Amino acid sequence: MNLEKFLPLTETTYYILIALLEEGHGYHIMQKVEELSNNRVRIAAGTMYGAIENLLRQNLISAVPSDDKRRKVYKITEEGRDVLKLESNRLRFLVEVANQNGL
Amino acid sequence: MDMKKYKLFSVNLKKEENWIQSIIEQGYRLKRKSPWSACYEFEPSEEKNFIPIVRIDYRLFKKREEFEDYIMMFEDSGWKHIGGTKNSGCQYFEKSKKDASEDIFSDQSSKAERYKRISNNWLSIMIAYLPIVIVFISTGIFKIDSFFHLKELYYTPGLWELSGFSFWRAFLFETPFALMRGFSGWLFIAMIFLYGLFGLKALYWYHKEKKLNDNIHH
Repeated sequence: MNLEKFLPLTETTYYILIALLEEGHGYHIMQKVEELSNNRVRIAAGTMYGAIENLLRQNLISAVPSDDKRRKVYKITEEGRDVLKLESNRLRFLVEVANQNGL
Repeated sequence: MDMKKYKLFSVNLKKEENWIQSIIEQGYRLKRKSPWSACYEFEPSEEKNFIPIVRIDYRLFKKREEFEDYIMMFEDSGWKHIGGTKNSGCQYFEKSKKDASEDIFSDQSSKAERYKRISNNWLSIMIAYLPIVIVFISTGIFKIDSFFHLKELYYTPGLWELSGFSFWRAFLFETPFALMRGFSGWLFIAMIFLYGLFGLKALYWYHKEKKLNDNIHH
């Protein structure tokens, strides 16, 4: 599958995928993203629900079994990891270009 | 004292939110929204230091667990579910924690997506009805030209030869059946038209809200 088509990721999607390197339910992800971004990115519940729905459809995350009967728990898939690596490389390259040009 | 208010909204969620908020600002909170009718039940708010915000999402769920998981995510993040069922579409949330987000959406595009779901819902109902109506009209079960043959809708033998009281009695007795015979087809067509209208209206709001998003980012 051509994973390049998922790039560039939005900032929100990038953070969600990083958060789901460890499994967690929706509210976990929201808290984790807030923490990872130094409180800069706050995802509200309705937006989070839609984002999870999209990522499941794109097969970048998947639902995993859990003891919590009332909350679904998710984790990043192999494809998700690969997309995250591709995007990280793209961003590193951009930063490198910026460095070389004295920024 | 609790207060019941009736108001019917078709697809404009922003207008509905604003109306609810205007009642809340008079010192109430939304206690319940009936999923079956246009009834909103308000009660006086005991909160003195913050105004309870109400926001509406639109979602239908296939499974009970999905609906529960959805509600849990909102409640975990400080938004209490106060109206809506698994199949009702509109889901009402009240901000229950002071430090919860100001809205249930943190970006404009996911907020606009609500209208996309409303539109898809109405248009798919319309498309489901369409073949039924076409078949019924083409096989003559629905007569759409009944306006010009009103007399033919009455089956009572010799009805039009009667006069006076016996005419009115027979005529009025059969009228409801005649109307059903002649105009049920039109009722279906009117419904299809209405579904289509709601679907297109929602699509209009979707593109309008989406454009708002583009204007912010460019």
